[in-house]
Amino acid sequence: MSKIVVDGKPVGFEPGDSVAMAVLRAGEHPHHGGTLCLAGDCPNCVCEVDGIAFVRTCQTPARPGLVVRRHPEVGAPPLRVIAQPDVTKTPKQADIVVRRIEADVVVIGAGDSGTVAAGEATDAGRTVLTLDAGDGNEVVAIYGGPTVIVRRPDAMVHVHAHEVVVATGAAELHPVCPGNDLIGLVTAHAAQQMVAAGIDLGVTVAIGEAPPGISCPSLAGSLIRFEGDAGRLTAVVTTGGTTPCDTVILNLGHAPRDMLSRMSGEQLPVRAVGPAAEKFALPPCPAEGVVCPCSKVTMEDLQGVWDRGFNELELVKRASLCGTGTCQGGVCGPYLRSFVADRSGAVPEPFTARPASRQITLAEASADVHTDVFRRSPLHDEHLALGAQLDRFGGWWRPWNYGDTIAEYWAVREAVSLGDVSTLGKLLVSGPDVVELLERLYPTTIDDIKVGRSRYVLLLNERGHLIDDGMVCRETETKFVLTFTSGGAANAEMWVRDWIETWGLDVLVLDQTMSLAAINVTGPLASTLLQRVGLAEPPKFLQHVHADVAGVPSHVMRLSFTGEASFELHHAADRSVELWRALMAAGQDLGIKPHGLQALFGLRLEKGHVIVGMDSEMDSTPRRLNMDWAVKMGKPDFLGKSALARTNELPNERRLFGFTIDGAAPMEGSPIYVDDAVAGHVASSWTSPLLGHGVMLGWIKHQPWPDTVTIDGRTATVAEPPFYDPEGRRARA
Amino acid sequence: MLALETMRGTRIVASPSTLDSAMWPAGAIVLRFAPDDVFVVGGESISVSGDSVIVAAEAGYSGAWLTADELAHVAAHIDWPLPTERPAFAQGFVASVPAKLYLTGAATSSDGGDRVALLLTNTPYVHELQERLS
Repeated sequence: MSKIVVDGKPVGFEPGDSVAMAVLRAGEHPHHGGTLCLAGDCPNCVCEVDGIAFVRTCQTPARPGLVVRRHPEVGAPPLRVIAQPDVTKTPKQADIVVRRIEADVVVIGAGDSGTVAAGEATDAGRTVLTLDAGDGNEVVAIYGGPTVIVRRPDAMVHVHAHEVVVATGAAELHPVCPGNDLIGLVTAHAAQQMVAAGIDLGVTVAIGEAPPGISCPSLAGSLIRFEGDAGRLTAVVTTGGTTPCDTVILNLGHAPRDMLSRMSGEQLPVRAVGPAAEKFALPPCPAEGVVCPCSKVTMEDLQGVWDRGFNELELVKRASLCGTGTCQGGVCGPYLRSFVADRSGAVPEPFTARPASRQITLAEASADVHTDVFRRSPLHDEHLALGAQLDRFGGWWRPWNYGDTIAEYWAVREAVSLGDVSTLGKLLVSGPDVVELLERLYPTTIDDIKVGRSRYVLLLNERGHLIDDGMVCRETETKFVLTFTSGGAANAEMWVRDWIETWGLDVLVLDQTMSLAAINVTGPLASTLLQRVGLAEPPKFLQHVHADVAGVPSHVMRLSFTGEASFELHHAADRSVELWRALMAAGQDLGIKPHGLQALFGLRLEKGHVIVGMDSEMDSTPRRLNMDWAVKMGKPDFLGKSALARTNELPNERRLFGFTIDGAAPMEGSPIYVDDAVAGHVASSWTSPLLGHGVMLGWIKHQPWPDTVTIDGRTATVAEPPFYDPEGRRARA
Repeated sequence: MLALETMRGTRIVASPSTLDSAMWPAGAIVLRFAPDDVFVVGGESISVSGDSVIVAAEAGYSGAWLTADELAHVAAHIDWPLPTERPAFAQGFVASVPAKLYLTGAATSSDGGDRVALLLTNTPYVHELQERLS
């Protein structure tokens, strides 16, 4: 006889046995007790099988060597602990195949009603796919489409269908009364299966009609309780008296097995047929006992939540957790409805069903559903070769540092440094209406930007809230280059295109975000470096030119985010490594180093430059950010103008301030206290190597605006940024 | 693992009518990304008239020619129906990575092999697409 291992002990099984049947054959109960249906409807046979918990063992064929662990009698099986994944690496997908197939009609269930439905569809000339759990095709969900999700032993299958017929039959009712967690309780279907398998049920009685093929007395009267000893049934008590027995067969009625059809909603071409569509009578409302074996919810618990005011089916479910467990209401659903009907006087519809109807592993659920894609800049391998620690920012893998953030910082402040800014959004916009477009999009003036000049701009929505920022560079009278933040680029592109269409303007757009790379050359020796590689006359502050740099055609934009002279070299992505290496080589004796985001965030914070989404909030207006200087309210119109005109008249209750503090800067996110009450939080912080103390940006909601605050138990002084080079001489040098 | 390599060409953004009437160089692969946006790979010179037309060298895409078997493998990672007509140009997610497929009318490729489709994606996605298709 072949064997499986149950709780460390070998258990024999016969050909055709499920795991549950093998356990029963050995005289054990797969779940320590409770009514068995052996039809996949209840949680009373779930075990850990080969390391996977919550497996319905009545639906799992026994195989030699299968390792089964019963769940604890109380509580959930322990979670397996895996090693902490490396967050800098894209998680690997589990090796589960997903197959996609199409069919006119999917019939779920190969019983009588399913066979009829399949035959009718075939006769109508339609392609039919019948899925039955008994054949290894376990349907676990129906999504929009409709798309039927099927778990097979060898794969997950996504079936795209024009119509779905749910022919899943009906589930047998379980008893709800004291003692219903004992060993020895089986439904009629389960009893038949056990007898057919040659399992001796011992002294057996039936509540309701005895099933065909089993000869046992049917007890008169209504069920009151089960009695037992050491977890095993010894007697059943009905209104007719107490009857000693080893097994009680429960034939209490049925409920439609309609979870899949309820899951799909009315808008999908999904219909139930046969018993799955039948309106069975609800069972009487029980007086006591465990109603939800998954979450061990008793009738007393239901009454408790009812008494607290949860007087609707969905609320009772959520408050008591009845129906949220393994069987998803398969056992308790009819009783829950019966309870609510009894208390409210109205029969409620079944609660909403949601995928998945059966336990599936996270690996099965996520098979072929990938994590977000994080892009690699053309310089990705260069960064790795330079020892960069990479992390995900704004949809890209970016260097956080190259091992020595402080050295990177000083290279920017005292020499020259390279930063990979390939990730910035880059739009080329062209057309006769382009100036009108940009005047409407941006709150600053555009028409007065001369060809070859550029300007820093905010991007506001209709409510006047900051959604992005960047540069506007004028190429010709009718052509501009727009830059956006790395994380905001995709939305910004949609934003620009949407408004062009809305306003009916004649403007063409080319998104070059992933076509062009960009290297920021920054530091007091940046001009020197660029002259060495062929840029004889680097542009002046806020100018831009097209020129060859180290032989690579580049669009050179002079600006500054670090506070030092900075030149962004925008160039074809396939020439980026060549340009990077040429710059690194030419700057060796100048002390060149690359810098990562960690240093960049500190450098810009010393200048008080805001990072959208890090320092700004969803409702940050320019006034709240202290950036009114970037808004020209005298313009005829721009997105957000009317909102700003209105909100600027309201009291300014919340604002972004700069702060300095002796010693190391507190952590970002630290609460800011005024008079012992929380008045805001730190948005950005940095311990400045140059200044020798901490600098921060943070939000304050307190009137009057304070001069000092408490952060991290220390006094911090409110100070308007920039904290470094307030006149901006170095950036313009 | 599929070897996707940089596809150099020309990107042209112009009004749909301008692109509809444009004459493309012989031998060029013309991929219409959008009604007003085309990517032309191959061919000597490209001339599209119009004051505000954008013509830009494009090196931000990588691609690989696929055999019929390779296309079937890629198609298994696509959750949308492939066009049945040929030639056809389709865009969408392949293994959840934004990508494009140019399905040729007949087996063709630059090296004369049995290639039936060109798989294209932005170069920053290449590593992820290769990994997910491997």
